[in-house]
Amino acid sequence: MKIWTSEHIFNHPWETVVQAAWRKYPNPMNTAVIGTDVVERDIKDGVLHSHRIVSSQWHFPKWVEKIIGVPKVVYASERSTVDAEGRQMTLKTTNVTFGTFLSVDEVLQYAPHPKDPAKTLLKQQATVSVEGVPLCRYMEDALTKNISFNANRGRQGLEWVINKINTEVKEIDHLLSQTKKSLDGITDTARKSMDELSASTQKIHF
Amino acid sequence: MNSIGENCNDLKSRYDACFNAWFSEKFLKGHTDDSVCKPLFLSYQKCVQEALTLHKIDVIDLKTNHINGTEFDKPTKSNEDNSSKKEAES
Repeated sequence: MKIWTSEHIFNHPWETVVQAAWRKYPNPMNTAVIGTDVVERDIKDGVLHSHRIVSSQWHFPKWVEKIIGVPKVVYASERSTVDAEGRQMTLKTTNVTFGTFLSVDEVLQYAPHPKDPAKTLLKQQATVSVEGVPLCRYMEDALTKNISFNANRGRQGLEWVINKINTEVKEIDHLLSQTKKSLDGITDTARKSMDELSASTQKIHF
Repeated sequence: MNSIGENCNDLKSRYDACFNAWFSEKFLKGHTDDSVCKPLFLSYQKCVQEALTLHKIDVIDLKTNHINGTEFDKPTKSNEDNSSKKEAES
């Protein structure tokens, strides 16, 4: 069994990061994930619980593929909780495909940075375990390296999504201000017409 | 993002759009009533559960076979119990 841990700081508030976490895929840095499906979701004591099935295409080294055989699509089960009040999001993912001889368990935890609440601290842990097939330990090493590489891509992917959301927000703000301007324009025109109307009505009366 | 069932993509994207808006505008601001997206969720679920069966993925089986805790996070026992008792939404 190999355990891999890592920490990363996002220069964005927790609320921004967790919104992006739901929209993490698709992103150009992390193309392995081809589908996500929510299969259960509910709120218990103010905490949002979700269960998703994540479909992805894994790329193993050729010698690993020869031993374990890699299907076209690999499925994983992801359980998550979001506590908005406690500002914490935890996602736990385990592979469904490959059953008992290969398990990859991953935990991600997003919380505000303890020293700077405007930033978000991601704690990440992965456990890789291969049992009962030849070259188990080598395979664990190879998979752990893969996870470390993918984790880095995952963070870049999340940054990309955050940027996208921020741009969308700016576009909406721009759209809203444009709408407001054109509404002001309409109001002005309407006011002018009303003024003209009342002026002409007054003319008629006098 | 696509669904496991190709025919569910449209239902999924409509539900996702509703959920993302609800999550940002309501949930993160302390409102925990999620009924606004429920109808979309239920029609998406109907589709996705059929697709899961087709792909031979047993969601109920997954509940008993999940990660228990890590170095930095120990899940509360009651949460685990609740989730294993709960039936799959369909």
